[in-house]
Amino acid sequence: MYEIISSVKRDYIIDLVKQGKRSDGRALDQLRDATIEMGVLKTANGSAKVKLGKTHVLVGVKLMHAEPFPDTPDSGVLIVNAELLPMASPTFEPGPPRVEAIEVARVVDRGIRESEAIDLDKLGIKSGEDVWSVFVDIDVLDHDGGLIDAAALAAIAALTNAKPPAEEDWKLPEFPLSKKPVAVTIAKIDDKLVVDPCLDEERVMEARLTITTIDDGSICAMQKGGAGHFTREELQQAYELASAKATEWRAKLG
Amino acid sequence: MDEPEKLIVDGKRLDGRAPEELRPLKIQAGVLERADGSAYVELGNNKVFAAVYGPREMHPRHDQESDKAVLRCRYSMAPFSVDDRKRPGPDRRSMEISKVTKDALEPVLFLELYPRSVIDVFIEVLQADAGTRTAGINAAAVALADAGVPMRDLVTSVAVGKVDDTIVLDLMKEEDQLGQTDMPIAIVPRKKVVTLLQMDGHFTKEEFRQAVDLAFVGCEKIYEAQRQALKEKYAIKEGE
Amino acid sequence: MMIHVKNREVVVPGQLVAEGDYRYSEGTFREKDKIYSAVVGLADVKGDQIRVIPLQGRYMPHVGDLVVGVVIDSHKSGWILDLNSPYSGNLFVSELVHRKVDLDQEDISQYLGMGDVVLASVKEVSERMRVLLETMDRGMGQIKGGKMVEISPAKVPRVLGRKGSMLKVIEERTGCTLAVGQNGRIIIWGDNPQQVNLAVEAVLMIEREAHTSGLTDRVSLMLEKEKSGGI
Repeated sequence: MYEIISSVKRDYIIDLVKQGKRSDGRALDQLRDATIEMGVLKTANGSAKVKLGKTHVLVGVKLMHAEPFPDTPDSGVLIVNAELLPMASPTFEPGPPRVEAIEVARVVDRGIRESEAIDLDKLGIKSGEDVWSVFVDIDVLDHDGGLIDAAALAAIAALTNAKPPAEEDWKLPEFPLSKKPVAVTIAKIDDKLVVDPCLDEERVMEARLTITTIDDGSICAMQKGGAGHFTREELQQAYELASAKATEWRAKLG
Repeated sequence: MDEPEKLIVDGKRLDGRAPEELRPLKIQAGVLERADGSAYVELGNNKVFAAVYGPREMHPRHDQESDKAVLRCRYSMAPFSVDDRKRPGPDRRSMEISKVTKDALEPVLFLELYPRSVIDVFIEVLQADAGTRTAGINAAAVALADAGVPMRDLVTSVAVGKVDDTIVLDLMKEEDQLGQTDMPIAIVPRKKVVTLLQMDGHFTKEEFRQAVDLAFVGCEKIYEAQRQALKEKYAIKEGE
Repeated sequence: MMIHVKNREVVVPGQLVAEGDYRYSEGTFREKDKIYSAVVGLADVKGDQIRVIPLQGRYMPHVGDLVVGVVIDSHKSGWILDLNSPYSGNLFVSELVHRKVDLDQEDISQYLGMGDVVLASVKEVSERMRVLLETMDRGMGQIKGGKMVEISPAKVPRVLGRKGSMLKVIEERTGCTLAVGQNGRIIIWGDNPQQVNLAVEAVLMIEREAHTSGLTDRVSLMLEKEKSGGI
């Protein structure tokens, strides 16, 4: 089941973009207001709630014992999962994860993993038998676009306030998070690049590019989506926008 | 696995290639009898089939789009395609690849010529050797053309990456697993635009630009092979 | 103004066919002042007219096409026919029997049943590709007897030939009668099975070699050989 955007609304959004404007009054290169609340769940080791415009995402981090992978006997394990809850949108039905949820989880995972934000090598307990696994579970409660961006932001926020379990096996002074990867999505509407599209804009866009950067501006993950295309110049412009805007969101993480 | 210390020694990669060199490539069109269109691609040790059915009637009816065809893509790896047997059935990785593959192919199709119908693309990896999704897209594009689906151009795909701080073309298995960056990309060669882009690893802004440029150059040879495969199907018989 | 391909050259999607003010049709599209092929096909250049004859592709119903359909469903006032196409055909009972039918009095199932083969022509095609069929001409309607062969719809023009020349060769040399549907379905009627099989062979040969030239002569030769050499 999917929602149809009325052609009137579609034309409205595109006309606005032609004039350099957006339906919520933002400039083309302006992010939505993001509010981050940390430590909202008592039952998780770390948690964060992100409100990005009307999009609402909650992430809980759980640290649990697990068996390591055979070729990395002393390294912890990172597992990222995402659920687009039925409450988040009339189009999300209960059932097995849709490809949209899988994509959110995998792109957020790549941002954290490839940037080596978590020093997994410090999370071993007993070589080959027992390590710490870091479960990052993303729940989307309300969908108004920007799910990957909001989820990635909430994931890192949750990791920054992750308190170690009160256990003997935890030997580190704090949770080993060394970088803050931030994902920013750039949409292409009427051949213009638009930052942080809301849901209506996602429905009319030709394509989107999500770029995850770390503190020094280097890229650790990218994901193009949508049935359109980008020129090489647009790729470079999108990078410039994404890395600049990531700094704004990163500043909110403290 | 005995991990090699360096992946590039004296300017040569583990399989003897230069950084900008492609693995051996073979593409054939029209290899299956029942499908409307099909193709087979060998890239290094990758062996990938693509089959296209359609445009055909779409069921269930409520999934139809009244003014154009729906493109459906399924990327799948056979259980015996990898060293550690893969359990049959779609997994999260296959589902994601199916999605990005569809987004890579759709821009060139004239979907509005076939309202209410569906075009099914099936990609099956029989033997995997890094770069399966790129081989799959190359095969799928040829299969779509083979099926007679009107297209603005073919879509050509290759992976670029960074290994031992060097930008390389068409990553092999060891480079994919141990290298610094992997970036599969698909382009519409005639229009020089990008329809698939994924990346994980580390790139500075400059490395990203270089890698994209290398991908465009690397795709030229693959594009030629795709076009040849389609023409060859009819050329051989001409001489009879 | 420039043509970039030879006549009857095999071209592929995205291949530049011509530049300039040409009239372009089937199998091509234009971007600015360049005309490209959209399909794998044979470039066809006649003066200032360019098209690409597709060598493959599904059947798309056009008004006036002769088609061979198979009944797959029925409703109160007619039937749905499979046309070997992404689109099925609607045949109303009034179109079949050429008169107004009182649906309260008559049971239309007496006319056609599931699986019946029907020779019809395409009366109307709507924007959403809803296809209406009619059976106006002689010989149309339910087909009884004969053998049906299905080939790729893209090759049907070769089975007919220029001004029906290929069809004539087949019918004369085999003594069979053929009804050639634009949707790739061909009905063959003949007095004995050998003749019918010969006609089938000819049709399949044309499908295989549709992209080559001199085909009419080769088919003619093949039929001659089979007739004299065969038992």
